[in-house]
Amino acid sequence: MSAATDRLADLPIDATQAGLGLLGLALVFLASPLFFQPPPGAFVLLEVGVLFVLYAMILVGLNLQFGHTGLVNFGPVAFFAVGGYTAAILTADQPYQAVGLGLPWPIGVAGAVLAAAALGVLLGISTLRLRGDFLAIVTLAVAEIVHGLIISFRDVTGGSTGLFNVPQPVADATGAGGGADIVSTLLVFGALALVFYGLFRRLSAAPYGRVLRAIRADEQVTETLGKRVFRYKLVVFVYGAAIAGLAGALLVLYNGSASATFFTIDVTVIVWVGMLIGGAGNDRGVIGGLAIIMGFQLVTRFMNDAVPYVTQDQFASIRLMLIGLLLMAIVRYRPQGLWGDADRLGVDS
Amino acid sequence: MTLLTVDGVRRTFGSLVAVDDVSFAVEPGEIVGLIGPNGAGKTTTFNCISSVIGTDAGTVRFDGADVTGLPPHALARRGLVRTFQRTRELETLTVEENMLLAAPDQPGERAWHAVGRTDRSERREQAARERAMELLSVFELESMVDEYAATLSGGQRKLLELARSLMLDPAMLMLDEPFAGVNPSLTTELVAHIEALNAAGLTLLVIEHELETLTELVDRLVVLADGRVLAAGTPTEIMNNDEVIDAYLGG
Amino acid sequence: MDIPLLQEVIFGLVIGSYIALGAIGFTLVYGLVNMINFAHGEFITIGAFVGYLTIVVAGLPLPVGIVATLAITAVVGWAIARVTFEPMNDAGAVPLLLMSIGLGFVLRNGMRVVAGPDRRSVRLDVTTYRFDDWGFFITSQQLLIIGLALVAVVALHVFLSRTMLGIAMRATSDNEDLALVSGIDTRRIRNTVWLAASALAGVAGLMLAISQAANPTVGYGQLLLLITAAILGGAGSPYGAIVGSYLLGIGITVSVAVLPSNLTELNATMAFVVLIVVLLIRPGGIVDTEVRAS
Repeated sequence: MSAATDRLADLPIDATQAGLGLLGLALVFLASPLFFQPPPGAFVLLEVGVLFVLYAMILVGLNLQFGHTGLVNFGPVAFFAVGGYTAAILTADQPYQAVGLGLPWPIGVAGAVLAAAALGVLLGISTLRLRGDFLAIVTLAVAEIVHGLIISFRDVTGGSTGLFNVPQPVADATGAGGGADIVSTLLVFGALALVFYGLFRRLSAAPYGRVLRAIRADEQVTETLGKRVFRYKLVVFVYGAAIAGLAGALLVLYNGSASATFFTIDVTVIVWVGMLIGGAGNDRGVIGGLAIIMGFQLVTRFMNDAVPYVTQDQFASIRLMLIGLLLMAIVRYRPQGLWGDADRLGVDS
Repeated sequence: MTLLTVDGVRRTFGSLVAVDDVSFAVEPGEIVGLIGPNGAGKTTTFNCISSVIGTDAGTVRFDGADVTGLPPHALARRGLVRTFQRTRELETLTVEENMLLAAPDQPGERAWHAVGRTDRSERREQAARERAMELLSVFELESMVDEYAATLSGGQRKLLELARSLMLDPAMLMLDEPFAGVNPSLTTELVAHIEALNAAGLTLLVIEHELETLTELVDRLVVLADGRVLAAGTPTEIMNNDEVIDAYLGG
Repeated sequence: MDIPLLQEVIFGLVIGSYIALGAIGFTLVYGLVNMINFAHGEFITIGAFVGYLTIVVAGLPLPVGIVATLAITAVVGWAIARVTFEPMNDAGAVPLLLMSIGLGFVLRNGMRVVAGPDRRSVRLDVTTYRFDDWGFFITSQQLLIIGLALVAVVALHVFLSRTMLGIAMRATSDNEDLALVSGIDTRRIRNTVWLAASALAGVAGLMLAISQAANPTVGYGQLLLLITAAILGGAGSPYGAIVGSYLLGIGITVSVAVLPSNLTELNATMAFVVLIVVLLIRPGGIVDTEVRAS
């Protein structure tokens, strides 16, 4: 990526170990009576930070699917939503007009991961034998279906209103109000994200990753060289689904509610554009790309107030236009993104 | 015991019968050539044997077991390896990665070992690397080891594909037109390699158009025409077979 | 409310008509230019706005408006494709798909900024023909839409079977390498495909402006439906797309009559379920085209 991050590779511990260490510290911090109250101006930044860390988890899975294996998954938000709503339904305590089983939050998390993985298995088995751009359509359609089902079955999910009274374990553990629980959440989720980043990185750096990249390059040859191509594709698809499901559960347990607005196509767009900006296949790069796109969104959110003649709707549309233009420009002129390897991706640069 | 037995294989595409009741056998240690005019069904037969496409009828037995319809990865692991007519080296992988990919039984290719970074996977990777360098130097490709396969010349790609297949330590190698579009000096080189491999015990089945090169190389020839076996025998027998001559000249 | 089945079928024919024109264009592009154009919905939206501008703003009579919409959308769509997709023609299916997604964003939101939130639709004088003995009615508007679709389908059929260019297109669709070798000018075919697909999208957009409204997302709302119809019929086959569209349209409206009322909001969702089921069971669709990864 750059000289600075190359030096990271020389450190004696890798991301998984660092993440686990940080997670341990974060849990100790949570358990202790200590907390950190941030200045009010930092709230927005912290909240975006939590979202960034959760999207990064989704992205790590997506990068394994697309960057390494070449699977075009346009529905990561479907697994994000299934995970989130499963966790919400399992753990909510008497939500107003929805189903809430009031079970402890660890069950919610486990259920979310299982549900998302199950959807991944179902989709994977049915569509991973089709051509790549068809997989794109199917995953996109599934995301729309999930969204539609959430809105329609309002007696179960709370429909457009949302599902409330979901427990917030981190906030409860921190005990203090204000922004302190956001800080604690950021620490815990950030550590988790680092752990998973590290695990997925180990996969891609090992011979396992080589098989994935070979599948991306030429499935048939890889199969004739003795590798069970379909199994790899399915498993990678499910890993991505599971981590997106976990991220969904975490989001819901942070917000204390589930709402369809958390799980729109915007998530898919941010994660994909982040991956392409950073460079698909470059594990560190894609995180950088995500930071860039989310930073862009944050900065432009403030700009709207500064520009007088444009309404909020118009501004939102202009923003989306710019993102669209950016996507087109990357695909046309720099498909390997900022830090991707052109040779690795097989693009002319 | 014969190594490969093809028995009554049939394959149609719609109303076109590409392969019709093709049967032949390959003994261990032989080099057998599969020849015939264009459209005779040679590549389709190859594809049927290697399970790249399915068969409508017939069986394929390899090393004592019925392997008809087994997925390609299973065949490779049983020791039956094939190459492709248009070289399919993995362009977005380096030469070394192409070679290492083919190494069988790598714990590092399983998630548990990959994430755990176990000793077993590191040792196997190291052994594979050594074997890869051995093979690359036999084919004089060792200087290209870190280059992306996309940068190789046509001749180098042929050699890489051959070297890569050998990483699998096959009992039998099926070569699909190895000399197609290859200049004479590289052809001589390839022939020398193939003969050396055969002398060391590798069985080979080779599809080829170039009759002169093949007749020197093989022990036996099987001739296909219109999807059927026209004749089978030693090169001398085949070259004097009127039916074969008709098939080739008749078009 | 108990709407007779026959009435639902008529509604279904109307929906099927504009899905069909969108789906044919989409599937032609898929089959001949080998890309999934996720911005096709925006081509339809352009048609809706052009229709509104020519008929309502400029006040042109309806037949002129139809032809103008068709022609203008054809050229605009072709020009956009020329600039955006043609230079990357051999980049591969996935880059082209991504490109079209970006394009869709730009066009959709661009139209949002320019058009604003005002409601615009093409209001026509409507005559209703009642057939109370048979238990249904049909409006002149519905007849117009169905009629336009019929004309378009017949014109397409004549083009594909009677003209040299149309026959060349079918040949290219079957086997592009062979077509190239036979001397068929694939570039000319691609240009024709973009013109035809955009023209059809334009008429579809006009139909939507008449039956719904001309707003920046009207085409995008159809996108997944028309993709479903195209895949149901068999990706790449225009005839399949026609069959798929009417099946889908009638299926949606009839299911409203048949299902219990609290599930009717699912009809769009159900269309997507149809998509998944088709891909599971028979991914080549009704016509059974080849869609496995090679």
